[in-house]
Amino acid sequence: MSGTEFWATQFLNGLQLSMLLFLLSVGLTIIFGLMHFVNLAHGALYMLGAYIGVSIAMWTDNYWAAFFGAPIGVTIIGIALYTGVIKRMRKEGPMSQVLVTFGLIFVIVDLVRIVWGSIALGIPTPEILQGQVSIFGISYPAYRMFIIALGLAVMAGLSLMLARTSYGAMLRASVENGEMASAMGIDVEKLLFSVFCVGCALAGLAGVVAAPVFSATPAMATDILIPTLIVVVIGGLGSLTGAIVGSLIVGFIQTFGAVLLPSFSSILVYILLAGTLIIRPEGLVPARK
Amino acid sequence: MTNAFKYLLVGALALTLPASAVSAQTKVGLLLPKSGNYAALGEEIDAGFVMALEEAGLADQFTIIREDTEVKPPVGVAKIRKLVLQDEVDVVVGIVSSGVLGAVRDFVDGSKVPLIVANAGNDHATGSACSKYIVRVSFSNGQINRPMGPWMFEQGIRKVYTLAPDYAAGRQMIDTFTKSFSAAGGEIVGSEFTPFGKTQDFGPYLTNAKSANPDAIFVFYAGGEAISFVKQYDSFGLKADIPLFGSGFLTSPLYVNAEGPAAVGVKTALHYVPTLDTPENKTFVGAYQAKFDRPPSEYTVQGYDSGRVLIEAVKSGASDRESIASALPKVKYTGPRGPLEINPATNNVVQNIYIYETVADGDALTQKVIATVENVKDPVNGCVMQ
Amino acid sequence: MFYQTSIKTVCVAAVTFGLIAYAMLGGYFAREIVIEIALLAMLAIALDFLAGYGGMISLCHGAIYGVGAYIFGATTALSGTDPWLAALAAIAGTALFGWIVGAITANVGGIFFIMATLAFGQMAYVIVFESRALGGDDGLAGVGRFDLSAVGVNLNDSLQFALLCVAGMLLAYMVAATVLRSSFGRTLSGIHANEDRMQALGLSVRTHKANAFAISGAIAGAAGMLAAQHTQYISPEYLVWTLSGEALVVVILGGIGTLAGPVVGAALLVTLEHFIGGYTDRWHMFIGAILIVAVMAGRRGLFGEIEHRLSRRSETKTEAGIHA
Repeated sequence: MSGTEFWATQFLNGLQLSMLLFLLSVGLTIIFGLMHFVNLAHGALYMLGAYIGVSIAMWTDNYWAAFFGAPIGVTIIGIALYTGVIKRMRKEGPMSQVLVTFGLIFVIVDLVRIVWGSIALGIPTPEILQGQVSIFGISYPAYRMFIIALGLAVMAGLSLMLARTSYGAMLRASVENGEMASAMGIDVEKLLFSVFCVGCALAGLAGVVAAPVFSATPAMATDILIPTLIVVVIGGLGSLTGAIVGSLIVGFIQTFGAVLLPSFSSILVYILLAGTLIIRPEGLVPARK
Repeated sequence: MTNAFKYLLVGALALTLPASAVSAQTKVGLLLPKSGNYAALGEEIDAGFVMALEEAGLADQFTIIREDTEVKPPVGVAKIRKLVLQDEVDVVVGIVSSGVLGAVRDFVDGSKVPLIVANAGNDHATGSACSKYIVRVSFSNGQINRPMGPWMFEQGIRKVYTLAPDYAAGRQMIDTFTKSFSAAGGEIVGSEFTPFGKTQDFGPYLTNAKSANPDAIFVFYAGGEAISFVKQYDSFGLKADIPLFGSGFLTSPLYVNAEGPAAVGVKTALHYVPTLDTPENKTFVGAYQAKFDRPPSEYTVQGYDSGRVLIEAVKSGASDRESIASALPKVKYTGPRGPLEINPATNNVVQNIYIYETVADGDALTQKVIATVENVKDPVNGCVMQ
Repeated sequence: MFYQTSIKTVCVAAVTFGLIAYAMLGGYFAREIVIEIALLAMLAIALDFLAGYGGMISLCHGAIYGVGAYIFGATTALSGTDPWLAALAAIAGTALFGWIVGAITANVGGIFFIMATLAFGQMAYVIVFESRALGGDDGLAGVGRFDLSAVGVNLNDSLQFALLCVAGMLLAYMVAATVLRSSFGRTLSGIHANEDRMQALGLSVRTHKANAFAISGAIAGAAGMLAAQHTQYISPEYLVWTLSGEALVVVILGGIGTLAGPVVGAALLVTLEHFIGGYTDRWHMFIGAILIVAVMAGRRGLFGEIEHRLSRRSETKTEAGIHA
């Protein structure tokens, strides 16, 4: 393995991890940015995405059925949570939101144990994405390339939707001034509900996309929470650009930390976090007020 | 007849019976994780323990009191105090995590209650921190990995790169392998410990390992991390060029089907595989499959043997804490995993280590034993029994 | 603002006597439960002091508790330091840790504060988990206990140790109450009510917040120091972030901004856990569900509800307006 090849592969590793972190954190951050709701159970939704994906892949013997089915399944669960719990908690302070969603983690994790058992499960990589692809003479796992492409696509799709569509314009208007927006005939409640659904679908998507690389375990719900929070706090909670910037920074720091300073790699991210909090407490790219 | 009178009578009868007869009731505290990340292991061990009692037809001779450690050392301490001081059990069985074992060690030793360790592999527990009241029937981290060094060298492997999670068990497993492989004449060309319980992305580490150009890679990963690692190893195309070796938890029957074809060809060492071709193991696997419809794992066997050594000790006449503790190290029999005995110098189990390859059998994956290292016994490691 | 009302005195006294009676009459496991309640109550008092009166909802109190346990445990186990000296070091060390976190996060508000504290706690966890010298994830055994034999107390006896923990809880309550009644405590409540106005009055908000965090940290650290003595063993599990969540749950269940609430809440939560745990291994699920219902039903908490009912009945002038 030549030097260039090594660094190019590590660059792709960093990009791949960044995209995965982006898929994980973007749902959390848009729900917060647009609804002002803190969902600690986001990791639990991610876990549900992986488990529902495992089941669909097992029944249909087709990864793509799981790929589309898991986000839908998680959205349905999300809707149930929204009508049962979250809708009533929206106007409450951050502490009540943290506590209720903390309770949801416990409930969802135990339910997953009851339904799927405690043993880790996996999904095989879809056939078409097995093996490596070669770009510029570097061979890289095809599935990881797919994650990079998917992350970039979701990034572009969300940016375009917010900036260019009338739906995006209505959203921005509702966030800017909810009363004014509803006076203009926008159904703010319905709009925010749709945002919540999109956030859940993205969590489910992250789960089913991560499942062939990792495994589905009940520990996912809490393992992923801290890295995700770090991404959104560094980037700036509530902004799409913040999630993008945060995931790229964390993804590359983790990857190149592992290469260059292996014994410090896990502390590096926290040092960065503390630095961000001291210098720019609202994150590098905070949501506009 | 009043209850009190009944007990008196039973007590009187017990006194008159010869010492070899199985005593009336043995109270067992089963201390396993029932919630938390190791719940699956707790379930396997519990099932194995119960199987041993049922097989011997002695299920009604033992009263089992179950407590959940939640894999938290402070909880483990509180629960073992309850079992020992309040429930007054004769023996405690279980303990999955080495953290919990470390936490309860001094209490067990001080209160002189026998503890049969059914999983936790920390080398020190039967080394510098050994106790005559702590008997381990599972394995020690060193025991599983030591035979792999000379064996891999014999296979013509000279340069090895190692990877493991950055926690105590990971370090012990890799250290033992490193020593035995170097002693055999091999060279460790690189070694890294990956952060434990994070996003489980091994990409950067695999790229590092590849660039070191080793003949083989030796790793320890378990549970969810094992699944992630084996799949990612394959997806990077490393398996074709650099064969993967490791401690056998990597491709444990509990997880191997989640790993899928990526696990085929991985060679690892473990103290038990369900495909062992012995009459004892066939009976055991048959009984387990009839009940659970899947092959047993090394964790089931550990639970089973915890029950079995206890039964053997009680059969030999032990009835209270002190006599059980002194009878346990004398137990010796051939069970599902082959000949098994306790080394009285350390109270760790002496057992065969099986080097096996994961092979495809139709759609399922199974284990093919390619070498057996017999009666692997840990060095005394600074253990002073008293 | 904090008032030591008679309802608070009665409630805290009732829980204290209940714990003492249970420890004396119950078996060994009863004492374990009493210790668990007393230590969790201490941690929750520390958090309520900060969150209920200073408006700083910290999610790193679990980590501070663990840091206290580690400072005490590591100094006694590794260097054989005198337990009293080690306890002093643990309290001073956690106060410093709290002060630093408080100073850094002083101008961070709302959810950012919660996340920032969570991150600091997690940082401490990672450092301890990866530190070879502190035993890594294996932890350290051989942690000492206070030697009170000079005054005829044998702390190796489980009953006497349980009583020490109950005393610790009572002391933590009194320290927190005394500070809150001082001018510092009044200023803290003032910052909570209107930070800008206090700033305009010429107060250094950052210094006050950092000092409050230091005091709260010292109480949490003292609880951790006792926890290390209880198990005589320390492991990174003491710093895990879910403990911070559990402390917050206790504060909410009992009643935030009441100081007596955490004492009631700790007794309630631990009792519920053991009660439900006696029936099913899935007790986390039920605790989670109870938490959701409790938060959704109202924000007064158990003690807040008792206080509300009693004070409405007697029409005495208590802390009306504080819960607004």
